Amino acid sequence: MFISYSTKFPYCFRLNLCVRKSVNGLHNVIPLRFFKNGPGLQSFSNPTSQGLPKKKEVFGKKGPISYKTLLVTAGLSGSLLAFMLYVRKEKEAAIQLERNRALGKAAISGKFNLVDHNGVKKSSDDFLGQWLLVYFGFTHCPDICPDEIEKLVKVVDNLDQMKGVPKVQPLFITVDPDRDSIQSVEKYVKEFSPKLIGLTGNKEQIAEACKNFRVYFSAGPRDQDDDYIVDHTIIVYLINPDGEFVDYYGQNKTSENISAGILLNISKFDQSKHSFWK
Amino acid sequence: MSFPDKEKRQKCWDSRDRYWECLDKSGDQIEKCVEVRTLYETTCPSQWVKHFDRKREYLKFKERINEGYEPLDEKKNTKS
Repeated sequence: MFISYSTKFPYCFRLNLCVRKSVNGLHNVIPLRFFKNGPGLQSFSNPTSQGLPKKKEVFGKKGPISYKTLLVTAGLSGSLLAFMLYVRKEKEAAIQLERNRALGKAAISGKFNLVDHNGVKKSSDDFLGQWLLVYFGFTHCPDICPDEIEKLVKVVDNLDQMKGVPKVQPLFITVDPDRDSIQSVEKYVKEFSPKLIGLTGNKEQIAEACKNFRVYFSAGPRDQDDDYIVDHTIIVYLINPDGEFVDYYGQNKTSENISAGILLNISKFDQSKHSFWK
Repeated sequence: MSFPDKEKRQKCWDSRDRYWECLDKSGDQIEKCVEVRTLYETTCPSQWVKHFDRKREYLKFKERINEGYEPLDEKKNTKS
């Protein structure tokens, strides 16, 4: 059928031209199926205006089913299928990533139960719904803590100036509960920024908080003035509004690095909350 | 014991910087910077002086490493 069609097409094309030249008489004499039983030129594309059932359209047009349309349909459905498979793969990868991240985060719970510099009891639950930047230090620290806290405050001030960025709450937690009373911590944090909240507590509470952040701390030997330096982990921790640890920044990170890192984490968090798959 | 506030910290850091400048000028000869050192020791808590002395040692060591000094070579030479 295919072969006969292809041979007929050029023939009927030429014939159509002849017919158009002398219309009136010819269609009565030559019973071609492309002709209509009616006077004059008629539209060849309308099957209802003629007595003959037409499967295909003539004169330059192929029917609705042809190798071209088949190819186009196959192409479209193939690309649609490929797109669906790709999207499904992306979703599975995202789920796997979240699972891995959750496993990796298990060691840092970020929980604490302390007292702030105003004497108000504050636990990590009280800060849910807020982004937290936590630094562990002590008031008698020679140079590292002041530098890191200045950096922390600079990051927070930076982010506060940006529109559409949620507030990030800076926290200072002492690793020296013996000396850092509520009054000491209050005096210390106020010198850096009114935004900074200082937290202290008794030995057990501080030990628990440090354990939950995996913070190492060790008081050094006391000298003739009863003074000592506390060796401790020098890291700034980022906690998301769900109370989960998501990132950390060491001494080598500048305030610009940290700001950029926080913005990235904020957008990741927002995206996961408005996930298409939920 | 109260901690050194921001002002005291800054004074301590300044006196430390002056002491380190003196050491750099004299080529780490402590005898030439005794006066500066005494001032430095009164401005900063003794624990901090110890801490900063250790830090200076460390910074000097780091400088030598960056210039290609290999501490293990010394140990090898003394053994043989």
